[in-house]
Amino acid sequence: MSNNGNQEPLLRVEHLCQYFKSGSYENKAVNDVSFDIYKGEVFGLVGESGCGKTTTGRSIIRIYDITSGSIYFKGQRICAGTRSYKDAIKEARKELRELKDGDPASEARRQELEKSISDNREEIRKAKIDHQNSDKMYADKLVKEVKERYEKLFEQAKDKPEELAELKKKYKDELRVAKNTKLITQIQMIFQDPIASLNPRMTVREIISEGLVINGIRDKEYIDEKVYEILEMVGLVREHAGRYPHEFSGGQRQRIGIARSVIMKPDLLIADEPISALDVSIQAQVINLLNDLRDQLGLTILFIAHDLSVVKYFSDRIGVMYYGNMVELAPSDELFAHPMHPYTRSLLSAIPLPDPRAEKRRKRITYNALAAHDYSVDKPTLREIIPGHFVHCNDAEEAAYRKEFNL
Amino acid sequence: MGTILDVKNLKISFRTSGGTVKAVRDISFKLERGKTLAIVGESGSGKSVTSKAILGILAGNAIIEGGEILYDGKDLLKITEEEMCDIRGNRISMIFQDPLSSLNPIVKIGKQITEAMLLKDRGNRREAKKEFDNILGLVKSNSAAALGEGSRAQVDGRIKTFENFNAEAIRMENAYNTARAAAEDLIAKTEDFLFLTSKKQKIDVKSSVKALADNLKKVRNEFFSHGYDQKLDAASQNLREAVRGYKAAKDQSVPENITAAVKNAEDLLRELTGRTEPDFFRIGYYKMKNPQADLHALPVEDLNETAKDYLDQNFMNDFLAMEEQGVAWSFNKALEKKKKVVETLRANRLVFAEGGMNKSASLKWAKDLASEVEDSIDRMEINKDSAAYTFRFAMSDAIERYFNAVKRNPKEEARFARQSRRREALIAKGRTIDWKVVPKVVYDLDELKDNVTRTIDNMTEHYEEYIRSADQVDFYARSVQTVDYMKERGSQMVFRVTRSMAREKAIQLMEEVGIPEPRIRYNQYPFEFSGGMRQRIVIAIALAANPDILICDEPTTALDVTIQAQILELINKLKAERNLSVIFITHDLGVVANMADDIAVMYAGKIVEFGTADEIFYDPRHPYTWALLSSMPDLDTKEKLDAIPGTPPNMIYPPEGDAFAVRNKYAMQIDFEMQPPAFYVSDTHWAASWLLHPDAPKVDPPKIIVDRIERMKKKAGGELG
Repeated sequence: MSNNGNQEPLLRVEHLCQYFKSGSYENKAVNDVSFDIYKGEVFGLVGESGCGKTTTGRSIIRIYDITSGSIYFKGQRICAGTRSYKDAIKEARKELRELKDGDPASEARRQELEKSISDNREEIRKAKIDHQNSDKMYADKLVKEVKERYEKLFEQAKDKPEELAELKKKYKDELRVAKNTKLITQIQMIFQDPIASLNPRMTVREIISEGLVINGIRDKEYIDEKVYEILEMVGLVREHAGRYPHEFSGGQRQRIGIARSVIMKPDLLIADEPISALDVSIQAQVINLLNDLRDQLGLTILFIAHDLSVVKYFSDRIGVMYYGNMVELAPSDELFAHPMHPYTRSLLSAIPLPDPRAEKRRKRITYNALAAHDYSVDKPTLREIIPGHFVHCNDAEEAAYRKEFNL
Repeated sequence: MGTILDVKNLKISFRTSGGTVKAVRDISFKLERGKTLAIVGESGSGKSVTSKAILGILAGNAIIEGGEILYDGKDLLKITEEEMCDIRGNRISMIFQDPLSSLNPIVKIGKQITEAMLLKDRGNRREAKKEFDNILGLVKSNSAAALGEGSRAQVDGRIKTFENFNAEAIRMENAYNTARAAAEDLIAKTEDFLFLTSKKQKIDVKSSVKALADNLKKVRNEFFSHGYDQKLDAASQNLREAVRGYKAAKDQSVPENITAAVKNAEDLLRELTGRTEPDFFRIGYYKMKNPQADLHALPVEDLNETAKDYLDQNFMNDFLAMEEQGVAWSFNKALEKKKKVVETLRANRLVFAEGGMNKSASLKWAKDLASEVEDSIDRMEINKDSAAYTFRFAMSDAIERYFNAVKRNPKEEARFARQSRRREALIAKGRTIDWKVVPKVVYDLDELKDNVTRTIDNMTEHYEEYIRSADQVDFYARSVQTVDYMKERGSQMVFRVTRSMAREKAIQLMEEVGIPEPRIRYNQYPFEFSGGMRQRIVIAIALAANPDILICDEPTTALDVTIQAQILELINKLKAERNLSVIFITHDLGVVANMADDIAVMYAGKIVEFGTADEIFYDPRHPYTWALLSSMPDLDTKEKLDAIPGTPPNMIYPPEGDAFAVRNKYAMQIDFEMQPPAFYVSDTHWAASWLLHPDAPKVDPPKIIVDRIERMKKKAGGELG
């Protein structure tokens, strides 16, 4: 477990909301989800289809513009939504309109509200800047680093013109790379459907190297070398580079998808149901591959899946989502040993096991959100019951959970 | 229980531009009535092809090279498309893997569910009439023969009586059914009315209530509404009163008194439909004998009892005794003939294989044999002897196949040689060629010859088995079964499915498969449903025609855990309720554990291991089963998974020996050279692996599996011993 308290999280998701408009109705796909992912760990995200786990993954990699909340990656805010601030301004304006003139008490309140409005405006402005310029800020930082490093080198090689020329060439290359670096490329995604996510008109070489090319690397030899290296790493061979995706089997295609995401040397890999579309034996191959890559490259993985046995096997910590909310978050062994939220219990009770006798005895628990909770008065939040074990509950439920586990 | 579906030596290939892909290579299995058989394997192992062959929906380029699929006295591989149409969807239906592509996007859900029920309605009645007449004729002729010439008049009399009172019973039942159907129809309408008004939907209240009041008289029937006539009149009057002077309100709300009146009518109808159904078969006899008797003097339950006693004492006991003799006579006659047939078959076993006959001579020979076999069929058996019924087909088919191959093989060789020559000539000239030589499809003549011998052998074995168990037959039970069968056909003859009944049944089905608010959902299109709901619709369609066999082709692979668990529970429940037999195809062994009674593990077109669920999970023997089990983590798995290296073999060139040998770390030299036979571990459990040969070195299954079985045994406690 890499989750020790003082460590800086690699990814921090705060109050993420992602709404989709469909007509006049707003579909709250993800509603106020917060979690941290620490360096080197595998964070599993489970839930039934339509609960927003894929949307969360896609929001992190900025496929969608998030509605509200912020996402920090390596301490840099990469996504920021403005809805919560806008709502706060709206509320404040409404209250302002209702305040009476001349009353001293309301005068104080008025000032307070006006201040909150201007604060929130400032927040919106900042969010917009962060949202648009996160890559640029990060690139500036890198450029500065490269410049500093090479200034020293230039100083050393001042007298040797040949070396200097060489250095300058290298410097130019690196500077271009640094300028074009986007923070977001350090998050990469593996998609669910290995067939649909590969362009049928590109060769494997083109598919895998596309990220490098976009990032400004022009050296053909370097690219080829990289591609071969990655191909071998994911268990394919060099000769495959010249082929097209349709010439591969499902498992090999998924390997190409993995190679494409790994070549950028990402720090965070978002694996969106990477094995759901695959055959049993291939599933095991892909899981083993991801495990190996994780050891080799020190990857941090956000693993989204609905197969709980695989998630349990693969993840260090697991978050359970239900209709846009994170209902439980705990280390994986802890979650399976002491599931607290009724939805988690129902989910765990539905796992089919390769054991006929145990299967005959298994009783499935059904979950009905309306019957299980009374949130009419006391609204629930995500609370830490045992250190590291969070549950979405209100006061009464928290007390009940604590009592149940003798805490 | 008994076998409901029997697949024997099935071989299927596909013609492709690359050559013939051997998808299914000689598999045999039996599906027991009311049991679930799971077929497990990787994609490309031929499991879906097998299931599609059963339904006769193989792709156009499929070649059925041999084998039989026996169901209800028919060989599904050889019957015509018209006959297949009667079976497909009606008796055997299928849940497909992808719910989106198996629903018609522009037809409403309701129509798709009721389609099969309505289409099969008239056909079912016609069929039932035919069956009824057929069986009755057989009873008559056989009983007469058994009792001797002198009793012919008596037998004729009894049969006549049976026919007469059954006709009377059917007439009464028909009228009763019409009234009952009308009542059910009205209940559906009242339910709709109440539901829609409670949801404040716009409907024409006045005319629908009036229609209800008018239609109430349709439920009148001597038996159905006996004693309720006045209440029905009152309800009808009540409804009319309620809507008098009604004006539609703006917010679509309906006054209390109207809903109350409708509710009242509904309750009344429900009371009627809830009453015990008279036993028309017996009452028919009672009425025929006592035309003057007042049938309504007694409550229905007592009437049923009285009629039953009366029938038993006066007629049925005698009839059954007579019939029993007929059944026994027919059975014994058939048995004698069967003994003879076995001898003939033995004598003729190698006639064809020796060769020397031309096509017409051999067909004549086969025809003679088949006539003898068919002559020996006991036609009075209700459970049809599939093997005997299909013998003629099987023989002539095998022989024709052989002679076709004899004719076509040289042509094919010549074509191949010609094309190759041309290609080589072009290459020699230095041209670039953009076409391939189509690989030759040459049939193995010996194999085809063996097919004929095998058909005869199978038949012989089958009859020998039959003769051995001859003294255990209970003729009385059989004659009761025959009467039950005729009764069932009799009521089927008059059972009509109207559109509204089908609708009602569809809504009930939708409710059963767990679709909320089926009345609204009934009129929606597939795109308005989520993935899990669509899969449920597909299941409802598959169940609509009340099939005997349900084939599930990866029904839950596209769904998530919770929905998967619901669907599996649903299939299990329906299986128990309707005595369905299920073939369950999947690659996920976890799913199978709860469902299957028997499991067949398939690899490269062959069954490599077969056994009960317990045997496969607690005592797997084939390396491929080990690999499948160890490639998926369970909740306690911590160690590295044992992934199966490589991919399944190219089935255009199937490997010489064990197909799994290349990917098998336990493979021995012999695995690459010879195909392993089935080694039996127990009566129900076998595996095709050389590791089970007595001379093979002892190999332990992978540690991950040993550990898991250990854990499971511990969990199960003393159960496993």
